[in-house]
Amino acid sequence: MSTRLIASFLLVFCALAAWQVFSIPESTIQSEVGPILAPFILVALLSLLSIFYLLTTIGDKASDCTHHEEDRPLKGGSTRVLYMLGGGLAFILLAKVIGFLIPATLCGLGVSMAFDAKFNAKTLSIVFVIAGAFWTLFSAILGVDLGPIVQPPF
Amino acid sequence: MSSFDSLMQGFAIALQPMTLLYGFIGCLVGTLVGVLPGIGPALTIALLLPLTFKVPATAIFVLFAGIYYGAMYGGSTTSILLNTPGEAATIVTSLEGNKMARRGRAGPALATAAIGSFVAGTIGTIALTFFAPWVVDAALAFGPAEYFSLMLMALVTVSAVLGSSALRGLISLVAGLLFGLVGIDLQTGQPRFTFGQPEFLDGIEVTIVAVGLFAIGEALFLAWQGKENKKTDVLAVSGSLWLSKEDFARSWKAWIRGSLFGFPIGAMPAGGAELPTLLSYYTEKRLSKKPEEFGHGAIEGVAGPEAANNAAAAGVLMPLLTLGIPTSATAAIILSAFESYGIQVGPTLFTQQSSLVWTLIASLYIGNVILLILNLPLVGLWVKLLKIPPQWLYAGIVIISVAGVYGSSNSVFDVGLLFFFGILGFGMRRFDFPAAPLIIGLILGPMAEQSMRQALTISQGQWSTFFTRPISGTLMAISIALLLVPNVLRLIRRLK
Repeated sequence: MSTRLIASFLLVFCALAAWQVFSIPESTIQSEVGPILAPFILVALLSLLSIFYLLTTIGDKASDCTHHEEDRPLKGGSTRVLYMLGGGLAFILLAKVIGFLIPATLCGLGVSMAFDAKFNAKTLSIVFVIAGAFWTLFSAILGVDLGPIVQPPF
Repeated sequence: MSSFDSLMQGFAIALQPMTLLYGFIGCLVGTLVGVLPGIGPALTIALLLPLTFKVPATAIFVLFAGIYYGAMYGGSTTSILLNTPGEAATIVTSLEGNKMARRGRAGPALATAAIGSFVAGTIGTIALTFFAPWVVDAALAFGPAEYFSLMLMALVTVSAVLGSSALRGLISLVAGLLFGLVGIDLQTGQPRFTFGQPEFLDGIEVTIVAVGLFAIGEALFLAWQGKENKKTDVLAVSGSLWLSKEDFARSWKAWIRGSLFGFPIGAMPAGGAELPTLLSYYTEKRLSKKPEEFGHGAIEGVAGPEAANNAAAAGVLMPLLTLGIPTSATAAIILSAFESYGIQVGPTLFTQQSSLVWTLIASLYIGNVILLILNLPLVGLWVKLLKIPPQWLYAGIVIISVAGVYGSSNSVFDVGLLFFFGILGFGMRRFDFPAAPLIIGLILGPMAEQSMRQALTISQGQWSTFFTRPISGTLMAISIALLLVPNVLRLIRRLK
């Protein structure tokens, strides 16, 4: 992923934001400054800054930690990131369906594997205990609503 | 009532067993998060925000103050024993502290850091006690125009002056300001940036953004690098945990000087602890009778910067409590905690919530004593925490982050948003965009817009009001100068 790609993402983000600014309905309430002015100024400013950023990437002046030897990732960086995001996705898809414990365990498993833990019973049981401990702390002790610890899917 | 009387009343509440217990827990948790890499005070306080629905305001702010100060103390342990500064402000501590530990003097390094933190924290809190009411008196004359100009100045300085690139800082800030505008416009009721999603109508929670950027983003970055498992060289705590006469003699002046650098710079809208720690380090190097020791483990090089770091932490509370302006990510999240209680932060806080503010300030004094007592005897425990394998540490951090966000709304949409901001945080970390301006922009954005609109309503749409009113005009001029002068100087240097 290069700095130019990031600059392009920023410009796409600006385009989306600009579309949203023009979608804000006109207010019928009389006021000196309506709801559009501040978003309009900010989107214009961000677009301008993004163009400047794009120009710095063309001159190769934009910073990327992979330019420094000591910050460069070891082999398999993308796979490790995907493990972690996969864990998060598992939680998002399953938490409402089967309760907190198993999705949180899967989320923790993804994170552990992103940090080079092996997929085995030891890893599974440790993240299971961590997930259970946090459910107990938040839900049972602090009274935060995390839903049931487990629930049948149907 | 004088500041001293108000402070005594604050002590009366802060010393009640329940408040004291919250302070103690805050200090303990703060030190813990300061010691552990990848989890800092901003993230911890953000995760604890759901407690604002259940715990009284005084108790929660005493808890947060303990976490804030505790994390400053804890950060030095990681810097000295692991050579891994958790934040920019402790980089300087690791320069000499880790060298001292490698020479078998970890004990004195930890001791001077802890005692220096206590001295500086106390000096900073005394300064806060007596200077804050003056700032409040001055700020009571501020109208919406002055407030808008002040916020603009804080935003510009935090983004453009600090950090390695003004451009990336400003991009981060403007993105934060835009995220802050998501939801229903409070004055007209029109939805903005909602993409037709009802989940966005209430805006984006600060917790989600802070936890996403700091916890998920950091974990993603470290996982991507893949080096966490390969570098756990925790040094043993060698040497006495008491300072020898010579160490004390070399430390005490550095503590005082560090405090004098830290508090005023921390209290400025630009805030930050990086500048005072660096200034303190170079001052100590110049004044030292043994300058040859610098770079090889000079005790003054730990004492001064640690003191500056802690005094700056007290300084950051000054603009927060007196003006309602956060100048660091942690202060921004504390501000959102005030908002959850419906408390208006700003000059009126000292009159309308006098008891709360003075209890908070009193708890800072008490917290400093608790931290001094806690830190040195428990250093063995903190060292053990540093040995937790990263796969379990980060699994715990991510699960607690997910639980914190999911628990506050019971919405998986918010968890999705958490991971979105995590990916954003990962990109920002990789491409060197600072995260703090985004958080500060997110919180200050809606407030600045309200002030701007009020000022324009009062002036009947005259934009010149921001420049013609003396205080507002001065603040605007400073903002413009801060934005332009460094670039102009750079251009002149290049032309030469």
